[in-house]
Parts: sequence; C-alpha cells; structure tokens
Amino acid sequence: MNSNPIASADAGQILDRKPPAPRSRRVYNIFLTQIAVLALLLAVWEFFTHGNKLATFLFASPSTIGGFLGKMALDGSLWTDMYTTGLETVLGFVVGNCIGTLIGLSFWYSRFVSAVVQPFIVALGSIPTIALAPIVIIWFGTGLASKIAMSTLSVVVVAIVTSYKGALGVDPDQINLMRTLGARKFQIFRKLVVPASLTDIFAGLKMTVGFALVGAIIGEFMSSSDGLGHAIFKAGSLYIIPKVFAALVATIALALVLTFVVGKVERILTPWRSID
Amino acid sequence: MNGSEPGAISAGPSRASLLSAWKLSKSYMTGGKVTPVIGELSLTLEPGEIVSVVGPSGCGKTTLLNVLCGLLAPDGGEVRWRGARLAGQPSDVGYMLQKDLLFPWRSALANTTLGLEIRKVPRAAAESRARALLDQLGLHGFADFYPSTLSGGMRQRVALARTLVNDPAILLLDEPFAALDFQTKLLIESDTAKLVRNTGRAVLLITHDIEEAVSLADRVIVLTARPTRVKAVYDISLGEDRTDMIAAREHPRFADYVRRIWSDLEVSRS
Repeated sequence: MNSNPIASADAGQILDRKPPAPRSRRVYNIFLTQIAVLALLLAVWEFFTHGNKLATFLFASPSTIGGFLGKMALDGSLWTDMYTTGLETVLGFVVGNCIGTLIGLSFWYSRFVSAVVQPFIVALGSIPTIALAPIVIIWFGTGLASKIAMSTLSVVVVAIVTSYKGALGVDPDQINLMRTLGARKFQIFRKLVVPASLTDIFAGLKMTVGFALVGAIIGEFMSSSDGLGHAIFKAGSLYIIPKVFAALVATIALALVLTFVVGKVERILTPWRSID
Repeated sequence: MNGSEPGAISAGPSRASLLSAWKLSKSYMTGGKVTPVIGELSLTLEPGEIVSVVGPSGCGKTTLLNVLCGLLAPDGGEVRWRGARLAGQPSDVGYMLQKDLLFPWRSALANTTLGLEIRKVPRAAAESRARALLDQLGLHGFADFYPSTLSGGMRQRVALARTLVNDPAILLLDEPFAALDFQTKLLIESDTAKLVRNTGRAVLLITHDIEEAVSLADRVIVLTARPTRVKAVYDISLGEDRTDMIAAREHPRFADYVRRIWSDLEVSRS
C-alpha cells in the first residue's frame, strides 16, 4: 500500500509545533518573582522586630531563626530530627498509600462489597486523626511504630477514595473493548483499570504527602524523644520561639523535598502525560 | 420499494452464515418504564461480505451491535456465530467505535498489540505483526508515539490496526470514521476496504452516513425507528473494484442508491 499523504502531513504539523523558549522564560520569571516576594516578607519581618526585645521574643526574627538553624545544623540535632520525622513520614506515606490504593482499586472488583463498605470508610474519614493519637500511643508504644501508624491513618482514607474514584472513572467502552478482545476480569484490572487510575492515584499521593507529615508530627507531639514535632513542642514549652520557627522551616523544607520526589516519581511512572 | 422485504431475509435461524441474528428483541428499563429498543430484528452476515446498517438517529444501532458481539444479552431471539448459539464473547470478532479508545499510557505499537498480549502471543511475534500492520496503514515511524501526540486520523488508524492485528473473521464497526474530516475519512475507508476485501473478512458497519454505507458495502440494511427492525435491504453493485471510495462515489448508480435509502429514512422518521 502507498504511504499515506494525510498521515505524513499530520506528522509534520505535530513535530513542528510549540517552540519551547517562551515557556521556560515564563517559568524562570515566576521563580524570580517568588524569590523576591519571600525576600520582601523576610525584610519586613526583620525590620519590625529588629532592636525590639519584646517583639523579637514573641515573633522571633529571620536573623534569630537563621541563628538557631545554624546552631541546630552544627550540633546535628537538625539532621537527626529531620531524619526521624522524614523516616516516619515516608514509611507512613508508603504504608498508608499502599493499603489505601489496594483497598480502593479492589473495590472495582465488587460493586456489592464497595457499597457495603462505603459508609464505614466515610465514618473513618470523618474522625480527626489527632483524636486517635492517645489510643495509637497505647497500642503502638512511644517509638517509631506509633508515628508511622499516625502517619498511615492520616493518609489511608484519602488514598482509598482517590484510587476508587480513579477505578470508577474508567471508560466503560474501554472495558467493553477489553471484553471483545477476550480479556478476563483480572486482565481488565491489570492492563486497564490500574494504569487508567494512575492519574487520580498520583493526585492523591501529592495531597497525602502533607497529611503524612502532619500525622507524624502529631504523633511526636503526643510522646517522643526526637523528631521535628518533638523539637517544636519542646521549644514551644520553653518559650524559645525562634527555635519553634527554625524547626518549622525544617518541616517545610522536608515537605518540599518529599513533594518534589513524588512529582519526579510521577513523571517517571507516567511518561505519556508529560508530553501534554 | 425496491429493497426486499424483511421477511424474505431468512426463514429461520440460519446455520450456514458467519453471523446471524434471529428475531432479536431488547428493551431498557428507564424510570420504571419499559422502552423497547430492538423489536424482532433478523439479519445475516456471510463470509467476506461487507454489510452496512443505517437507521434514524437513536434507533438502537449501537445496542444492536452490543447484542451481536455478546456485550449485551438479548431479551428474545438469538445470535448465532458460525451456526453456534452465542455464549459469552465470540473469540474472532473485531470491535471498533467512533471513539478510538486508545490507552494513553501505551505507545501506538503497544496499543496495537493489546489483543495479542491478552491472548498471550509471544511479544516478538506480536510486535512484528503490529509493526507490519501499522506500516500498511501509513503509520511507518509512529509506532513508538503516544496517542496524545497523534492526530485524530492517525489515532483511528492505530485503532484499526489494533482491531485487524487479531485477525478477526468479523469486524463490527460502530461509526468508526464519523469524527474524521472528509478527506481523511475517504482515505481510511479505502484502506479499510482493501485490507478487509483482500483477506476475505466480513464487516458489519453501523453508520448514519448513507454515502459511506453505500460506497463501502455489498448490502445496506435500513432500520426503522425504535423499536427497530429491518425496513429494507439493498444489494449494492457498483462495479468490480470496491476498494476505491472515490470511484464508488462516482459510479452512475451510486446517487440512485443514496436517494432511495434516504427516502426510506425520511419515512421512518415520522
């Protein structure tokens, strides 16, 4: 058969479009403006607290916070606290999302089971995680396990809901197509439902990074001997407000790093979407 | 009317035909009310034959297609594949809709091999068959492209390759070219006709486009409004070569077929 004029004409258009330069310049401009806004906020903060002992005591100041960050980095407590909280968060995030995604996707298998379980999920989701903290400490002790459990609990319901939403969103015509190709239910699940749900699953993952971190820190508030939550709680109890802020900065840095990693993993696992 | 009467198609469930439907009926329940969609519809499809089905919009053509390929169970009547009563999904049917239904996470090649993968054909064999077919459909060099980077016409060609690579005896096509621009449509129709006629496959093409129905098919079945049944059947003869859609449309009898089918549809709209 002859090569097709329409197909190759289309191909030319596709390969030529979108010069990339303006977009990357726009991203760069946004980044510069963000840095400028941050610098301005810090400058205003420093200006109003500088030389004012009471204000510095109550609101801290960028320079005192920076001082504490330096001190904590040098004595190593910054790194051990970040490591502890990071480990709790990552483990809770992974465990919670694995369990939640498995449950959410498996609901696709049985409308009956999912209908039966639905109200229980809603009930579980409406409990504030912090209310469970005392029980979790009693059940899992004061060590790593209770923080992972808190973090898992903060994540799991969102993971169930987002993955089930993804599984239900699969185009019924695509399911019919799989059936006409002779696919059995498990093949439909593995080759269609799971990959089709990835978009929703990753949306859930990005959302739950923060939840996992909150869960770990709540766990540390209740009872712990290290971690960023512990540092915040202790510094707060002793009225060392710049140290509270220093630990908060470290917490934010941790959240940004984890979100970045999830974004990277998403781009690696769903390469067809980065083309846009 | 020049088409034969519905009753003349078959005297009973045909055993010889590739596909036969006998007195099919199907209703939907909507808000506690029964809406009959298909009413006592019979048709047959012989090996190597291209049959188009046209009908007024919303007459239940898609429901008919889903019943024929076992996705929906009929309320009454029966469907036979090669004379055997249909149970579950027939194994050698290719199914293609207006939506290309390509999986965005699979390349054009991996979309094409989907059916072979499901049937556990070794990967190397599956990929070489798929590549050959994509080349034949004018997609040489696009095998590794994701669907999101292909044009509508190219995507529908990939969908056609995904259907043909399984070597189905029958293709069930539900308005597969309806979303394409006219020029692309004629080219894909011609390619489809070539690939189908050269390999002796049978096609049941559901369409609302009368010109498409006439130019592609050996037989056109006109359906009535709901509950749909066969209103008329036209045997189409437009010369020897039936793989060139432009030649078919220029044939002296073409306009006459189109006019007669159009007037049938006009009547059933009321």
